[in-house]
Amino acid sequence: MSEPAVEVDKVSFHYGRLKVFDGLSLRVLRGTSFGLLGPNGAGKTTLIRLLVGLLRPGSGLIRVLGQKPSRQMAHLIGYMPQLPSLYAELSVIQNVDFFARIYRLTDRAERSRRVAEALRLVDMWAHRRDAVTRLSGGMKQRVSLACAIVHNPPLLFLDEPTVGLDPELRVVFWEYFTALTRQGATLVISSHTMDDAAHCDCLALMRDGRVIAQGSPLELRRATGHPEATLEDAFIYFVRRGGGGEGA
Amino acid sequence: MPSQAWAIATRVMRQLIRDHRTMALILLVPLVVMTLIGLSFPDSSVLDYIAPALLTTLALFFGFLLTGISFLRERSQGTMERLMASPVSRLDIVVGYLLGFFIFALVQTLIILLFTVYVLKITYHGALWEIFIFQTIVIVGAVNLGIFVSTFARNEFQMVQFIPLIIFPQIFLCGVIWPVEQMPDYLQWLSRVLPLTYAVDGLRDIMLSGKGLIDVGVDLMVLVGFAAAISIVAAITLRRGVSG
Repeated sequence: MSEPAVEVDKVSFHYGRLKVFDGLSLRVLRGTSFGLLGPNGAGKTTLIRLLVGLLRPGSGLIRVLGQKPSRQMAHLIGYMPQLPSLYAELSVIQNVDFFARIYRLTDRAERSRRVAEALRLVDMWAHRRDAVTRLSGGMKQRVSLACAIVHNPPLLFLDEPTVGLDPELRVVFWEYFTALTRQGATLVISSHTMDDAAHCDCLALMRDGRVIAQGSPLELRRATGHPEATLEDAFIYFVRRGGGGEGA
Repeated sequence: MPSQAWAIATRVMRQLIRDHRTMALILLVPLVVMTLIGLSFPDSSVLDYIAPALLTTLALFFGFLLTGISFLRERSQGTMERLMASPVSRLDIVVGYLLGFFIFALVQTLIILLFTVYVLKITYHGALWEIFIFQTIVIVGAVNLGIFVSTFARNEFQMVQFIPLIIFPQIFLCGVIWPVEQMPDYLQWLSRVLPLTYAVDGLRDIMLSGKGLIDVGVDLMVLVGFAAAISIVAAITLRRGVSG
């Protein structure tokens, strides 16, 4: 079995006196889309920030592509934060080009090609000269995704990537995410919507800093014992059961 | 120079150029201030004494404020988080910001200098290039001071509150308005640890007495030391990972 793309082993983390994780463990297989599903405050964003190296665990082990998260391996990762996190005064293309340069795409021709490719993919090429400050929330979200994928990383951490998107674009995003995993990329996606969850290969249901269940959407639904159960039913089932973090 | 630092520098410059109102304010506000001062001191000898001090004070003030607020916005809009999760080093960020603001700060210095010399007609003996080199060191310190102080502010309002704490005391204690020698001993001692004292002292010697950079070597070395120290401290405070 190949080495997992992400390995979290007995990780503890606290913000001051607030304990967020106490012995959290999970593994993400390479070439899969892994959903972190849970309500606000479940710890999804904190976990992603730990995985990209913005936070350091108090104890436990984190391995991302076999390495400890660090600046040296950051070029292998794409990170899309929850907020659009763009430079409002700059145009769409200037923002994506800047992040391409930051991620070491130094060859100008290659960079231009990749920037155009990323912008076409998120359907923002026609708006490439617009200032970000004039864009709608959904458009900013699309530009933010373009900034995260422009260097074609093998591992992507996407924090609520579909928030603010219309249903049509949400479908386009998921088609792209699925295509990425088919090409061998690994995606870790946080969400609190069941619609996103249904698209993932594997899910970790999170609540209060714990993984209460983990498995494929089908496995999680079957675990309820009801053949017609939805993922929402499964989530409620595991919450009521007080799940302890093992597979479904 | 690392390509990523240059990428940050060009991005900072593009942001400023595209923000026309801020650009206009950067260039016009110092001229308004100098005009008011010129009108307030019809006695040319007083103006001669104050003008070099204000030239360097304005460089410190605008360098500090512009960088501090820009850096704060980088944090509040989430782009700093994105940078910190990228292959960019802390040194790239500090050097990038420094280069990005440097050109604007130097242009601003040149405009104020030309305005002071040719419009306010102050007495001026030093060489222009020496004034520029001297001001360059002041700007490097000011930009990094802005980066460092912005670490302690959560929003623009808090950043502005640092002006009375960091800039105002220096204006009163560093010989801008009245000579340091006329202050009580304990305040004179305090003025010796503030960088603006050396900036004011050195620039006055260059502009009023026609001294060269070597003649003001002590002031220059203190300012270089301050700029280097604050640059290191600013880079250290930009932590990539926060322990939990």
